[in-house]
Amino acid sequence: MGSETPLVYIVDDDPSVRESLDSLLRSVGLAVLVFETGQAFLDAERADVPSCLILDVRLPGSSGLEFQRQLASSELAPPIVFITAHGDVPMSVAAMKAGAVEFLTKPFRDQDLLDAVQRAVRLDRDARAEAAVTAGLRDRFAMLTPREREILALVTDGRMNKQIAGDLKLSEVTVKVHRAQVMQKLQANSLADLVRIADRLAGATRRHKAADTKA
Amino acid sequence: MWLGHTVKVDRAERVSTETADRSQVRRAVLLLAGLLVVLLMVAPIARQPLSGTEPLLPAYAAAIFVSEMVTVALLLALFGVQRSWALLALAGGYLFSGLTVIPWAFTFPDVFPGWAVGDGLQTTASIAAFRRLGFPLFVLAYALLRDRPPVHGSASWPIAGVIAGVTGVALGATGLIIVGDDVLPRFMTDKRNVAAVWFVVPPATIVLYACGLGLLLRRPLSVLDLWLVVVLCTLLIELVLLSYVSAGLRLGVGWWVGRACGLLSATIMLLVLLLETTSLYARLARSVAAERRGRNNRITTMEVLSASIAHEVKQPLASMVTNADAGLRWLAKEPPRSDEAKAALGRIVRDGHRASRVIESVRAMYTKGSQERVAVDLNARIEEVVEAYESEFRLSGISVETDLEPMLPLVLGNPAQLHQVACNLIDNAVEAMRPVAGRRRLLRATSRRRSDGEVVVSIEDTGTGLDPAHGEDIFEPFFTTKPDGMGMGLMFCRSVVEAHGGRLWASANIPHGAVLTFSLPEAGEEG
Repeated sequence: MGSETPLVYIVDDDPSVRESLDSLLRSVGLAVLVFETGQAFLDAERADVPSCLILDVRLPGSSGLEFQRQLASSELAPPIVFITAHGDVPMSVAAMKAGAVEFLTKPFRDQDLLDAVQRAVRLDRDARAEAAVTAGLRDRFAMLTPREREILALVTDGRMNKQIAGDLKLSEVTVKVHRAQVMQKLQANSLADLVRIADRLAGATRRHKAADTKA
Repeated sequence: MWLGHTVKVDRAERVSTETADRSQVRRAVLLLAGLLVVLLMVAPIARQPLSGTEPLLPAYAAAIFVSEMVTVALLLALFGVQRSWALLALAGGYLFSGLTVIPWAFTFPDVFPGWAVGDGLQTTASIAAFRRLGFPLFVLAYALLRDRPPVHGSASWPIAGVIAGVTGVALGATGLIIVGDDVLPRFMTDKRNVAAVWFVVPPATIVLYACGLGLLLRRPLSVLDLWLVVVLCTLLIELVLLSYVSAGLRLGVGWWVGRACGLLSATIMLLVLLLETTSLYARLARSVAAERRGRNNRITTMEVLSASIAHEVKQPLASMVTNADAGLRWLAKEPPRSDEAKAALGRIVRDGHRASRVIESVRAMYTKGSQERVAVDLNARIEEVVEAYESEFRLSGISVETDLEPMLPLVLGNPAQLHQVACNLIDNAVEAMRPVAGRRRLLRATSRRRSDGEVVVSIEDTGTGLDPAHGEDIFEPFFTTKPDGMGMGLMFCRSVVEAHGGRLWASANIPHGAVLTFSLPEAGEEG
């Protein structure tokens, strides 16, 4: 996963800016894809590699900030590095608050841009790794039977086998069997491990729901 | 020498200069019609005496006195602003009328019984005659002085003179009347009834009223003129009631109704002045708001313009820098990628040309149509701009003089740009005078033809003046001494004037302020 060539998307309506950025980023060994509009970027098929987005604040149609908001609601949006020829402070504050990695005013130093891109790519790589782990967990969670899910919830709530047996009107032995199944299916080695996994699953679900309501 | 003439530009909307509109004329006519109806209704019972009404008389006199004195104060305040001799004369009239009503009431028989002074039989009637004949003379003076040019210099001396003069005459004359009762004409046969001699006074007064009305109606009526006509008509009705309808009988029904007319006439001017001041204030407030909006718009336009120029220039500059960085990186590779470096250099060339085109287009925006020159009458331009700034001048308390040389030669130029130059120079002058207090704020626009074939226009102000330390800096872009200025005004003016083959320079005004002058070649000559 770490050996994949990072991909940089550029969205800028000015062709000379696109071309110069394309050349600069390729000269340091990055893969580049350029788009004239935000919509063209959204419509394009995105490769599953660590990436980042260089975005001009002033875009025809919607502004770069507007586009940033739009993008934030979609899953695994690449981190954004803003560039602008306007350099106005309130705008950069708004962009940074909304989670931009960097806000550069044109003309900028190439090293500043490359640093920002590297930082953004690293963030994206981490996010992707995290997402991959969560996705694996979710697959494993999907293999649990409804009864096993019930027992998982009670176990992670800190209840003893005997109490669970009482709650669900099962024998303690049955609970133990289910519990062993859960541990095995989720590849948990200890109770602490199991709690961590459950937490992670709950967190991912929350994020998922939040993204859904935003969209 | 050239033949010059001075035009006083004084276009502010004022109660004394603004022409009365239809609705005001209608109101005036309705009021007079109503009074005529009252006159006719009172006529049959006019001679019925109303005994015991003497105590009302001091109250009546006090009401007249107060309202006329307030009118005097308002008229003098108006004179302080407008410096019109006519207003001063009218203020004198009201002062005279207000001052003479007091001895008239004091000497009225049986009003202040037991007072030793002024109980001669003829005293009251003589004072009344003096007062009645005197007031229309002031109105005549007002009507005749309307066209006189305004007072120059301080307003305090004329005001003091009029107050002293009128007070002296009014008090002196009434004093003589009180003392010399024996030698006065026999107006009264007893305390209530007039003698035949009295009937000389009303016709004489009517003649004076008629003269006043005739003079006032000679030309379109201003608001003040209109209500002064109403005042004279009301006084006329009062006179008819007092002298003819009630046949001179004092303290009868007709007499009191006539006195009510007198009170009405004394308050009309007061009410008109108050109403007009209030509505004038509302209009001023509105135009201040409009002016502020306009100013904000201008500033915003400049901000937007400069921001968009910056953006347009930065865009190709940014690509050039990035391309150069990329080229260096391609060349630093092992082995160097000269194909990529070459492409980057090619893009730098292209972007350089693009940046240059952006600058060129900005220049073209300013000099747009500069090749297309037409004959421009600078005098007309100046008058146009001065007129456009009228409300600005009024709000800032600035008087304006234009001193334009007649038969000024035309210049060849772009009318819109030259108009803008005049606007910017006047803007600067107004701004410079805003902080000035304690001396006259005067803006003078002059135009002259010079023997070397140039036309010279100056805008003088009495503002804060130029700081010698700034020197030629004031013509630099983004130089400004104004807290909210953009510093583009004078730079623009100079570039326009120079593009027209002229010059623009600044000098000090004596004793205060600055003069900005530009010269342009006459249209007849080439160059």
